[in-house]
Formats: sequence, C-alpha cells, structure tokens
Amino acid sequence: MFKKIENNFANHYVETQELPSGFVTNSSDLIKGYPKLQTLKELKAKQTEKYAVKALGCRVKTRDLVQTVNRWTEEFKLQFDVIMIGCMANNQRVLKFLKELPLLKLCSKPGFLFIWTTVDEIESLTTILNQNYGKKFRRSEELVFLPVNKNSIFYPQQDYSRLFENQQWNCWMCITGTVRRSNDQHLIHCNIDTDLQFENESLVSYNAVPNSVYKIAENFSNFNRRLHIIPYELGKTPIKLRHGWVILSPDVLLNNFNPLDYETQLQSKSLINYKNNQVQYLVGQTKEIEDLRPKSPGK
Amino acid sequence: MTKDFWHAEEYMIFIEFLKTYDSVLRDPRGGKLQNVVILFNTYSDQPPLTLEQFELYLDGFNSISDNAIEFKKDVWGQRIHFVDTDKLELVKARVSGVATKWTVKKVELEDNLSNLIEFLDTEDNSYEEIINLINQPTAKIVLSKTRSKLMVPQPFFEVCTDPQHCKVLSRVCLSRTEISSNNPKQIFPSIDECYISIDNNRHLFSKGIYGCSKSKIHHLPIINTHTELNLGDCSYLDTCHKMKSCRYLHYFTLSPSITPIDRAEELQKVRKALYEQEFTLGYCFSEFCKEILPPQWINCDVRKLPFKVLGKFSAIVSDPAWDIHMSLPYGTCSDAELMELPMHELQDEGIMLLWVTGRSIEIGRKALRKWGYTIKDEVIWIKLNQLKRTIVTGRTGHWLNHSKEHLLVGLKGNPSWINNMIDINTIVSNTRETSRKPDEVYDMVERIVGVHARKLEIFGRDHNIRPGWMTIGNQVTGTSIVEEEVLYKYHEINNIN
Repeated sequence: MFKKIENNFANHYVETQELPSGFVTNSSDLIKGYPKLQTLKELKAKQTEKYAVKALGCRVKTRDLVQTVNRWTEEFKLQFDVIMIGCMANNQRVLKFLKELPLLKLCSKPGFLFIWTTVDEIESLTTILNQNYGKKFRRSEELVFLPVNKNSIFYPQQDYSRLFENQQWNCWMCITGTVRRSNDQHLIHCNIDTDLQFENESLVSYNAVPNSVYKIAENFSNFNRRLHIIPYELGKTPIKLRHGWVILSPDVLLNNFNPLDYETQLQSKSLINYKNNQVQYLVGQTKEIEDLRPKSPGK
Repeated sequence: MTKDFWHAEEYMIFIEFLKTYDSVLRDPRGGKLQNVVILFNTYSDQPPLTLEQFELYLDGFNSISDNAIEFKKDVWGQRIHFVDTDKLELVKARVSGVATKWTVKKVELEDNLSNLIEFLDTEDNSYEEIINLINQPTAKIVLSKTRSKLMVPQPFFEVCTDPQHCKVLSRVCLSRTEISSNNPKQIFPSIDECYISIDNNRHLFSKGIYGCSKSKIHHLPIINTHTELNLGDCSYLDTCHKMKSCRYLHYFTLSPSITPIDRAEELQKVRKALYEQEFTLGYCFSEFCKEILPPQWINCDVRKLPFKVLGKFSAIVSDPAWDIHMSLPYGTCSDAELMELPMHELQDEGIMLLWVTGRSIEIGRKALRKWGYTIKDEVIWIKLNQLKRTIVTGRTGHWLNHSKEHLLVGLKGNPSWINNMIDINTIVSNTRETSRKPDEVYDMVERIVGVHARKLEIFGRDHNIRPGWMTIGNQVTGTSIVEEEVLYKYHEINNIN
C-alpha cells in the first residue's frame, strides 16, 4: 500500500528528553472509542461497590507485621482471595517479607497475588516463588505502570549503573489453585483490563498504589476478600483506605480492623458460595455484565 | 616537485596543532606518525603532507626548536615520545617577536577537597542533600547523552489535532476522481501525489492549513460512500482487510515530505566536529571517520551453523521462534534446542537483547542466565495502532489483554565501553506485520555500543538486514558476507561438509 514515514519516539527522546509514552493518544483514557467496554467497566465497578465491606485499615509497626498475620491465620483462620504486597516505592524490601509471611495459609485457593517489584528484583522474586512457595503461585501476568512525566511523584529514582533509564513500575499477578478462564465466570472475568497502565494526570493526591491497578484486581477477580500489605513506612502522606480492601501497613490512615467484625461484615455483604466444604465470598454479577464481558471463542 | 623545505612561519600551525591536540601522544593515537599526520592534515588548511614529507617537516622543526620533539621507534614504527612545551613557546616567541610570558597554573585540587570536607562537616546538610549528590549522573553519562542527542538521524513531526485541517486536506487529497484516473488498482494516492493535489488546490483553503500540511502529520478521514460515521473508528484501522467495504471509519496518514539531504549534511558536520574533538569515549576511536560495514547475512539453520565462523560480537539481538504452541510459518525451535545453542561462543563481553512473549518470559530469563548473562533490564514495547492508541481489546492475552511486549536485556562481563543510560526502557511504536519488531531497537543498540561495533541478529528475516549488522536465520534470502575472516571460515566449513 502507501508508504508511511513514522516518527521515531526513541530518537526523539534522545534529542528532546520528551518521554515516548507522552505520544500515546489514549493514555489518559485507555478505552476511548470502545463504548461497550466503558459500560462494562462501570457496571463492574457498581457491583464491586455494592458488595464491598467498608474500608478497613490495620496499623501495625513493621517489626510486628509478620506476627500479626500469623495471629490472623492461626487464631482466626482468616484468609484472603486477593493479596497485594508492596507499592510504588524503592527499597521496600518486599522480598524479605515474602519469605516470612505465611502466604500459603493466608491466601485462599483459588487466590491471586499482586506483587510490586522492580526489574532488579525480578530474578530474586522468581527464586522465592519457586523455592519458598514450591511454585504454588504461578506468575501469570506482568503488569507495568508508567508515570507520564518526569516531575511526577511516581517517577522512579534512577540508578545510573543500569543500561537504560527506568520509567516502569512492575507488578506481578500470580495465581494459586485452579481457575479456568472459560468456565469459571463466577470467579474471574478475563480480558477486561490490559497489562499496561498509565499515570492519570487528574490523579493529584499521592497514594501508594494507583487506583487503576486496584481496579484491575477488582475487575479480574470476583472474590470479595482483598488485602493490601505495605510493609514499610513510606515517609510521605499516610496510606489511604479503599472500599472493599483491608490495608495492613505501619502508616495507614485509620486503624479500624478487627478480624471478628470483618468476618461478620463479609457474611452479610458477600454472595456466599459453597464448594467442596469451602466457603467462597463472592461479588455477585449481573446478566448485563455477562453479556458484555469478553469471552473465549466458542462460548 | 614535492615540498621539502619550510620557513619558520610555516611551523606556527604545527605549534598550534600540538597545543590543541595534546592528546595525540596518548592512546589510541599514541603519537604514531601515521596517525598524527592524518589529524594534522585535517587541522591545517594547507595541502596534505605525505608521511615522508611529514618526517622531513618534523626534522626541520627540531632543527629550529632545539629538538623540542623526541622520537621513539618501536614495532609500530616511528612515534612522537615527548614534546617539550617550553621549547614550543620559545620558538613561537622568536618567530612572532613577542616576549614570552611564563605563567604557572594554579592547582585547585586542594580547594575542591576542602570544599567537600566543609560540605560534609556542615551540620545542616540533610541526609537527602547527600543522597541527591550521589544520585547525580556521572560526567560520562552526561557527555554520551549529549553526543547521542547531536547525532539523532531523523527529523520529528508533530501530529495536527485540528479536525478542520484533516477534513479539508482529506477532501483535497482523497477525492475519488483524481485517484481512480491515475491508477485504477491503487486505493490511495502516494504521499507525493497528495502534495501535488495540495499544491494545485492551495487557493481552496487558508494559508494556515497549507503551512500545517507541510509541517505536521495529519490523519485524514477516509469517507467512502459505504462509510457510516456514527459507527466510529474501525478497530483494525490501516490493517483492516476489508477496507473497500468496511463501514467503520479509516484514516489516511499524511506525513510531511522530508528533505533527507539537509539532514545528512547536518549530521556530516556533527560527525566532523566530533571527530576533531575526539569525542569517542565508549566508541571505537575511528567512530566518526570510518565507513559503516555493508549489511551481511547468512541463510542457515541457526542450530547447525558453527558459531565460531561468526567471531565475537558486542551486541546480539534475537527474536527466537519460541515454541508457544502456535503454528508459525517458520517452524519453531523447542525450548531445549534454544537453550542448547552455544551462545557463549559469540560474546566475551557485551549485551544481548532477547524478545519474549507471555509464556516465554520465564524461559527467556532462564536461557539468558544459562548463557552467562545477568538480566540488566526489561524494555517494554508499547504497541500502537495507526492513531497512536494502545491495543486494549481483542483478547490479546490469557488473563488480561496485552498492550506490550518484553525485551529482556542481558549483560555479560563488565565492559567499560558501554554507553548506558541514554535511552529509556519503554519503546513506543506501531505494530507492523505479525511478529515484526520495532526498528527503534537498532538505534538504541547503536547508541550503546557504537555503529562500528560488531552486531548480530539471530533468527532475523529479510527486513532485519541493515548496514553494520550481521543477520543469520533460515528466513533470510541467500548469503552475503563482507568481512574477509568470516568469509574465509564460512568457505572452510562448507568445503569440509
């Protein structure tokens, strides 16, 4: 067909220091031009909100964190379906905590882990998941979050021994247990979000994790018990709470979590499903969502 | 008759030269006469001297300057060993008739040291300030960034977002009658034809639009009789197979015509300046005067070619046909076969860039480790469509949709010649044919290792062939080898077999 001369954004970056990602025309609204997907996401958000337990925070000093989680799993048999660990900050030493946390007990099956990491730690992370957890958590997706400009509070600190300047925050999604993408539509909804998120310019206040990544977890998993562990103080503004999530951190805004109350709330809020003597706390879905969501071929 | 005698005034240029290029005595030139004469000839505007003439010239200079230049002879031939700068000053003063001013350079080292100690001693220096100081880029990074900035090979065009411009230009360029009359088979005019239409019809629209059409990129809506505007954009856009009947909206990208000659001349000037200033840190010392090797390629089964034929490389790019349970036209290699490739023979130190997709990321990381690399970075390629939007639909991944692909970057050894931190670890570029990767990678690699470093692409195809690169794989057409040594070894292998 016709010949096109393409702009080379890599060269343009070298010439002007303008980030290539700035030329992505839908970065502020990824689903621009897809009205059905837009509606689907709104409906999903509504369901998540409807079934969500109130926003909970558990403020615990870093050194007591592992002990607290151990008490949860042993005394209260507490489990979560979605567990996010870490956030967008350097030197969080997430790996150290991964080794110490009783994740196999804390995470239900099926269950989903979201681990924030950096490129330098990817190899150690692989080793820990394979050795400490016997490959029970399978790395399934590698999410990348991109701050859109260099003045952003999210823009990563540069390490000048690297080969390239770094713009990325990595978040690994791991799955434990069995979920089938074609038959388990009550448990998971696939292909709603993408593995790449951009910082939204309208996001003014600082939060440790972008809302878009919380949303990926909420849209993908229809389970209702969600936990976010930020093991270290960030020395910035306190961590904000989020509806439907328990946030465990030394500097979370509120300290209002109590395992027994949580259990009660879950019972009243969630859609309860019994499967092989196991209780599943789910977010109810609607027919409209089922009609709109992307499906595997032949379904 | 060649010149063999020079007047005293004619040595002034040589004194200036020695003062400007006091580095000629050091590596890599090492004061070798054959190197010095080349540099001197470019420096002086006079007719170039041959090596023999230059020796006579230096003899003459020594006779008037009381042997200011000392020579040494070794296996590389005659070389300048020492230059007595005081004697240079004396000769200069004699010839120009000006009294010599002797100055002593003040050593500022102690001052700097005391400044640093003072800084560290001050109590109100917060921890952050010191961290900030440590986190500054090194001078090498700053310099190589600047150099790369000067050498960016192509112009950049903004995209015009004014819908009125696009509409008007669409009417002018894509009017059906004109296109069909020229070539009935062609659906769209060429860029040149568009600009002819724009020039012919410039009285029909404002000067602003005319100027904009020449300086910015426009996406012209293609409005056919079957187009239904309320349906919105086609999700395939320019890759739509049914463009002749598709009812969704498509676009024609009108890019301004570039003038490559201007750019080439500009670059030539930059290269000359860099050459004269010997700004070659991290590159080979003849970086800016050497011709780039023509493209080379070998059609072969990568698993069977003895890698010792190829020699060593500074950078390797590879897009292996990972066995991801898909039937691809080129037949995939099994993971085991890929891991078994004797990659360790190809590099003593250097970088390897390995394309991986979803399921093969883990295998790729494992392979790099096995081949003796540490994974230094992961570059992502953000895949865009014609309108520079990311790909967000179409079940492109198993659990989530994939808008990006990963390029693993491995480093072997600890090469001092790496120019790091020039590029960023996100590539933003349009998708093209299936599995074709963005060309941005080549420029990025060349900025790291230099254009003359030996570079290899494994599992390449015809569109990957390019100057300065060796491309191997069973998808390239034929074989073309320029480097003598590789050619010799290649023939040797083929004769034995």
